[in-house]
Amino acid sequence: MQDQLSALLAKAAAEFPTVSMRPDFEAAKARFVGPNGELTALMKQMGSVPKEQKPVVGKLVNEAKSALQAHLDAALARIEAAELAAKLGPAVDPTLPSPDRPLGTLHPLSLVREEMTRILRKVGFTVVEGPEVETEYYCFDALNTPADHPARDAQDTFYLPESARFGNVSKKNHAEKYLLRTHTSSVQIRTMLKGEPPIRIVSPGRVYRRDTTDATHSANFHQLECLYVDKNVTVRDLKALLDYIFASLLGKETKTRFRPHYFGYTEPSFEVDLSATHLPKVNKPWIEIGGCGMVDPIVFKDVGYDPEVWSGYAFGMGLERLAMLLYGIDDIRYFYQNDARFLRQFA
Amino acid sequence: MKVSLSWLQSYVDLTGVSADDISRAITFLGFEVEQVIRTGAPALNHVVVGHILTRDKHPNADKLSVCTVDVGSAHGGVRTIVCGAPNCDAGNRVPVALPGAVLPGDFVIKEAKVRGQPSSGMMCSAKELTIAEDSQGLLLLPGAPEVGTPINDVLPAGDTVFDIEITPNRPDALSHLGVARELAAWFKKDLAYPAVSFTPAAITSNPRADLLKSVRVEAATDCPLYTATVVTGVKVGPSPDWLANRLTAVGLRPINNVVDIGNYVMLEYGQPVHAFDARKLAGAEIVVRHANEGEKIATLDKKERTLSAGMLVIADALKPVVIAGIMGAENSGVSADTTDLVLEVAYFKRQSVRATSKRLGLASDSSYRYERGVDVHSLDEAAHRFIDLILAHAGGQVAGPIHRVGADIPWRREITVTPAYINERLGFEIPASEQRAALESLELAVVREEETENRGPAWTFSVPSWRDDLDRPIDLVEEVVRLYGAEKIPSSVVSAPGLVGNDDPIVLFNRAVSSALVGQGFNECVNYTLRPAKELAAWATPAAVAELALANPFVEDQSHLRNNLVSGLLESLKLNQARGVAASHLFETGRVFLERNGQLSECVAAAFVIAEEAGERSWRPREAADFYTAKRHTATIASFAGIELERQPTALVAATAPGWQEGHAATAGDIKHGWTSAFGLVSLAHLKALGITGKIYAGFFAIVSEKVTADADRRGYKPFGLQPAALRDLALIVPETATASEVQKALAKVARAAVGNAFGLESVNVFDVYQGKGLPEGTKSLAYSLVFRAADRTLTDDEVNAAFIKIQDDLVKATGYQIRK
Repeated sequence: MQDQLSALLAKAAAEFPTVSMRPDFEAAKARFVGPNGELTALMKQMGSVPKEQKPVVGKLVNEAKSALQAHLDAALARIEAAELAAKLGPAVDPTLPSPDRPLGTLHPLSLVREEMTRILRKVGFTVVEGPEVETEYYCFDALNTPADHPARDAQDTFYLPESARFGNVSKKNHAEKYLLRTHTSSVQIRTMLKGEPPIRIVSPGRVYRRDTTDATHSANFHQLECLYVDKNVTVRDLKALLDYIFASLLGKETKTRFRPHYFGYTEPSFEVDLSATHLPKVNKPWIEIGGCGMVDPIVFKDVGYDPEVWSGYAFGMGLERLAMLLYGIDDIRYFYQNDARFLRQFA
Repeated sequence: MKVSLSWLQSYVDLTGVSADDISRAITFLGFEVEQVIRTGAPALNHVVVGHILTRDKHPNADKLSVCTVDVGSAHGGVRTIVCGAPNCDAGNRVPVALPGAVLPGDFVIKEAKVRGQPSSGMMCSAKELTIAEDSQGLLLLPGAPEVGTPINDVLPAGDTVFDIEITPNRPDALSHLGVARELAAWFKKDLAYPAVSFTPAAITSNPRADLLKSVRVEAATDCPLYTATVVTGVKVGPSPDWLANRLTAVGLRPINNVVDIGNYVMLEYGQPVHAFDARKLAGAEIVVRHANEGEKIATLDKKERTLSAGMLVIADALKPVVIAGIMGAENSGVSADTTDLVLEVAYFKRQSVRATSKRLGLASDSSYRYERGVDVHSLDEAAHRFIDLILAHAGGQVAGPIHRVGADIPWRREITVTPAYINERLGFEIPASEQRAALESLELAVVREEETENRGPAWTFSVPSWRDDLDRPIDLVEEVVRLYGAEKIPSSVVSAPGLVGNDDPIVLFNRAVSSALVGQGFNECVNYTLRPAKELAAWATPAAVAELALANPFVEDQSHLRNNLVSGLLESLKLNQARGVAASHLFETGRVFLERNGQLSECVAAAFVIAEEAGERSWRPREAADFYTAKRHTATIASFAGIELERQPTALVAATAPGWQEGHAATAGDIKHGWTSAFGLVSLAHLKALGITGKIYAGFFAIVSEKVTADADRRGYKPFGLQPAALRDLALIVPETATASEVQKALAKVARAAVGNAFGLESVNVFDVYQGKGLPEGTKSLAYSLVFRAADRTLTDDEVNAAFIKIQDDLVKATGYQIRK
């Protein structure tokens, strides 16, 4: 019996390591431990073993059984590993690019707008929106731009036909015409008419000029405008805001300076220059970046604020111009062509 | 406007002030300097007059000559100079740059050998001295100037011209005097007005009724003041050099002394003036009147113009001779043989000049000034200056008194301000004395000074007539800060008292949509709002498109407000395809304009496109987008406006939006109720017409701007069962026209009724759609999975099976659908 068991184990030790397919394994397993298997047959002989030998033989059989099971387990593990490997395929090439879509990108104008509004939010400015279709009152009259002002010319401003009716752009006066806003300053007026000071808002948005499209002009472009109305707002506060904005945006080495200028709705008025020679493609010591000033008392009167009590400042700038400066873009039309090679540069 | 430095020097002494400093001063006074142009010779050291004595051919070079040149004993007498100019002939006097001279462009002159011949200096051309853009050969000096004279003593003095932009509030600065006044204030210098010697009292000659018997103003509203002076016996000829040079410097072509003086006075005072040939005035009269409709006039720019009623003209007895304030006619202008003049100096209302100039499309230096505002109170002074200069440079005498029609327009303006107020507005201190000095330097005079209770002195300033823009104390703040130097405004820290509201819901919507789509791999685009009508017709009826037209488009392909954002994105795709650039996922947010209840509404919108053949090749292709991809993204966009698109009625698109492919695109929502959306396949015919290849899936969502609201209320927690669920799948055979949502609705209704209160139907979801073999003609199969759950126990198979059988029976009875076994 012992010999038979030894022979059987030797046979199994020789056979199982060569088994590589599951059916072969099952067949081999059956030959040893199946109902007609060799071990089964030997175990059946246990009945004929003399009683006194039974413990010894039983032990031998059990040992052989475990040894055989070890062979089976090893073979099965090997086969399962091979099957899994076959299922997974060869190792990946970790250097291949992922075929899944990468994150998309925001447009550079959005990036600049969001960055500006983030900077302004830190000092208490809230983003407001206003209609792009405006009326003469909000775009001009309320901003001290009289009816015969050249900016109101049909040559410079897009108008809608007299018959046009807008359900959600309110008119101040029945007779006024609809137009496409020429600046975001109209949002100031709507905001002031809607609420009471103090007010601290930033209004980014699309504006329109009747202009030839070229490298620096576009039929529509974007502005961003800040308005702050409170008690005792001063020119110095305005300068502080501009210094803060551009130091945040372009780094501490950035300087701003004011040059007196004229806007109908601010007094005094200034143009803002920027010194940022560390930016790409900036080859002038000072670059004009926007306009600003103290809100003209006429504007306050028109919206029903007492100019003796309230004062304020406004600042406006072009977003395309800023983006061109920040990124070193030299043609405004690139913003509107949406060449994917352009869009993907600013993630 | 161009201003000449040498001209400005007539009124303010700027000796020793560099052009850079003046340019800076102009800038900080509030006038942008667009360009600084230097004319004439720069300062040239070691460049002297030389006299060419001999010229010989260079032995080693065909095109060179070897000359001997006398440069004067002080500079070494006769020198040998090699020269390549064709005109270095003996006898010519030319500029010679001696060794040690530095010519413009840092060109240093040294002793040298040129092709083996020693050369001791260089003879110069006008270009080399930068007094001309281009030149042929050496600059020949006429009039045999003395040998050895420094060249700057021989060449006409140079000038510096500033091209500056005058803001519309400062018409007073549209003149040399005006700019000089500002510079005098800036540099704290005195301003010297031109010495005007003419006075009406000095007229001795008799009136000449044969030349001008009357001036009649029939349109006094548009012409409040008109003056005409007869000057007889003038001699028309060239202007003196100084005058011609000044005009040339600022870009005007000298014509003759009379015309030039007119221009000079305008550029000096900012007051346009005009000179007629008196003998050409029919009827010896001047009538200021409105033109008759259709009246014609041939203006000095040699164009015939047809006038309309209401345009102001200066006419004689027969015809218009000037379009008032804009341009004169050839029929009455000064010519070489003119001997008698009528000098017009008048005040025309800006509105009148502007309207006429605009209608005729005709502008001039004169109309520009009238439109911006001319100081009527300086009119007489300008008129007298005009007469002075005519008499001085064209001769003649004033015949009879000046014809002056119109009343004097009173001027008195006072502004009371305290230095404390000015400092309060500024937020920093400028000493009172400095404030006062600044205002006085601009010729505002303190007419009263009173002590206030607690704010120091209050000054009442009189405002000069040319500063109509100064009216209120705040206007004086600007004047003070201007002269103080806006550059010196100190900085400080932004004070930001707690005042933070919420950003506009529209902003939040756009941000959320953008970041979601960026997360899905879309690239954000920005397209123009104004679009051609034919492009918009793909998305709305022709009548609706017509409503979007602008009254005054600038170019044909930007004539209408956009009614969708897909058009622009398609254009962007096309551009990328044309450039061979891979671009497949694009989106945009922005305003669109939609017809709503009979009116237009401005809407907040977002859209995306997904291109199938984007040229993006991959070593392992991913599943292509389809209708349901577009639906998902559109639903995502809608969710940020608080809309659950999947729960909204959805239908295939109507034929009124031919931009979408019939049967493969759908709409949900209706702008009537505040929002709309469309998504699916873009019409293949439309794409073909656009020249775009491949299938494009797109989605568009728009909501009326006022309906975009802030975050919805915070949602409450709904308890969820912890017991195990029981699942059952049910396949139905339904008519092929039945939609998944109606079948689901019917099934859910029946199922809910069937389980009653015993336990819950948690969800019903479609998981399979099949049509084809094995199913009756005209039907399809939809398979749903039903999830049942009880809150308090594990459901038994028996109770679920019983309910499931009842559901099937009830559904077949209620709908006629078949159960697919």
